[in-house]
Amino acid sequence: MGNLKLAFFLAYKAILRGSRWTLALIILVTSLSFANLILTPSIMSGVTQAINKEQINTLFGHIIIDPLEGSLLLNDTGQILQKISGVAEIGGIAPHLNSTAMFKYNPGIDSSAEAKTGNWNIIGIDPDRETQVTTIAQSLISGSYLEPGDTDKIVLGVEIAGGDQAENKDFLTLGGVKIGDSITLVFPTGTERQYIVKGIFKARGGNANNLAFVSRQELTSALNIPANQDAASQILIRLINPDHEQQIISKLNTLLTGVQVRSWSDYGGGIGNIVSSFGVVASLIGGIGLVVAGVVMFIVIYINVANRRRQIGILRAIGINHKVVLGSYLLQALLYGISGIVLGGLIFGYIIKPFFDSHPIDLPIGLVSLAIDPGNIRNAVIGLILASVLAGIFPVLNITRHSIIRAIWGN
Amino acid sequence: MIKVHNLTKIYGKGPTAVHALKDINLEIQTGEFVAIMGRSGSGKSTLLHLLGLLDAPTSGEIYIDNQNVLKLTAEEQAKYRLNRLGYVFQEFSLISELTLLENVYIPAICLGRENHFKQRATAILETVGLGPRIRHYPHEVSGGEQQRAAIARALINSPGIVFADEPTANLDATSSRIILDLFKKLNRESGQTIVMVTHEPEDEKYVDRVIWLKDGMIEQK
Repeated sequence: MGNLKLAFFLAYKAILRGSRWTLALIILVTSLSFANLILTPSIMSGVTQAINKEQINTLFGHIIIDPLEGSLLLNDTGQILQKISGVAEIGGIAPHLNSTAMFKYNPGIDSSAEAKTGNWNIIGIDPDRETQVTTIAQSLISGSYLEPGDTDKIVLGVEIAGGDQAENKDFLTLGGVKIGDSITLVFPTGTERQYIVKGIFKARGGNANNLAFVSRQELTSALNIPANQDAASQILIRLINPDHEQQIISKLNTLLTGVQVRSWSDYGGGIGNIVSSFGVVASLIGGIGLVVAGVVMFIVIYINVANRRRQIGILRAIGINHKVVLGSYLLQALLYGISGIVLGGLIFGYIIKPFFDSHPIDLPIGLVSLAIDPGNIRNAVIGLILASVLAGIFPVLNITRHSIIRAIWGN
Repeated sequence: MIKVHNLTKIYGKGPTAVHALKDINLEIQTGEFVAIMGRSGSGKSTLLHLLGLLDAPTSGEIYIDNQNVLKLTAEEQAKYRLNRLGYVFQEFSLISELTLLENVYIPAICLGRENHFKQRATAILETVGLGPRIRHYPHEVSGGEQQRAAIARALINSPGIVFADEPTANLDATSSRIILDLFKKLNRESGQTIVMVTHEPEDEKYVDRVIWLKDGMIEQK
């Protein structure tokens, strides 16, 4: 009991009366290390989250309903939509009819000028429903979005339209289609139709920019599908609370027959791999960051303890048990670690996070702000506490391993 | 009583080995005030460190009150130093973050009677003339006062033996005299055994006996 009391007493006095600069430096280094440990994985998680968000917003929604294997189309879509709309927590439902087409655009006034062509995916949508699920309508860079009843109008992704804002080289696009221009689409059925470009969009999720949209009614007609079949290739669902995705999928599986219900992440395929690759990179960077932070903390605390070698020798000489000395420095190191973690947490929570929230990084994949993973915080806390403990114990053990005289006189 | 048999200390190995002490045999009676003197490098401090269990000899035996203290484990030796021995080092050896009072009573905290020892530490500091300075930190007092505080710390647990390694080496003449008078007083009044290393010839008059060392061996004078 006396030993523990003395360890606390020595630690308390060393902190209270020791060098303020050393104390401030150690806590600052620890706090910055901690903030950095959270920051890097949070940025990586933020990137992952931004990619996910854009995929959900522009391509998939949260849940996708597909026909069974072997079928290309869902029939009686209206009935399916009606059933789905009865499920609670569904924010929007949008049927898609998917196809491909060859796009032709003649930019010249002179009809003899060479036409630009290319093959792209085209999606037939119900415009009023679509805006409840995807955010393409909010990504227009010119013109306006489709409205119910539009039959000869088309909305193009910027990588189809081309022009200054397209990322692709000119020859991979239609070369600069403008609002009001007429383009011709040749469908797999052989049907050829002309459309007036009503809107051009540039979504942050790059994949969506290679899509074109017409009304589902129009595409049904162009693909020679009977209108009374009410066909769709898939149905996208947006949820009010994405955390309940699995519960809603289970409900839909019970409610619907002859369809496949999948999460957007199951559907993502390659995108899922990219996201999990980010996870691996984030873990790697986080691990390296933890080691670096631990080593920095270790060095700073080690130097501080090593500078007190003579004091440790004197304490041992007057009969203070080496465990008391060890305990005293361990307590100090723990206090440095915990103070640094608390300060680092405050810096992160009150300065860094709010800054990124108000100034997200504008990347092509989306606006990236910080996504904090509790697991990263836990790892950072454990890592730095461990580094503090080791930094407190090792130098003292090293000093107490030698004779008292060597500790006092250094020879 | 301290009895030493064939005490040898060799630093290093092989051709560079230094024989600091060679087969030392001596006895120090309880209540004796002994000075260990000799030229620089004669082995005075080494002998004091071995007697005080601050270092281990290469060979030989040390008996304190008929107990072979070299047979004690490191932990037992620490307890022995805490309860039975007191130290005053050449350089001011106080803990800079503690007041003079705290410096004096820290060894006593381990014994779990802090309040009793706070009073005793205050009394000892008053005895050594530092009554008004007990709340001062080491850097706020003179070298002589620091050394008197170190003596007070050495006495807190009422040790049977006090070891002092050139306690006046860094002090002016007046402070040195105060320190040596203090040792003499403690020795006469409390009957504590005091073993002091010194190189000052005039210190001889304070002690009962001088052990002279030359080249790691006791020199008969």
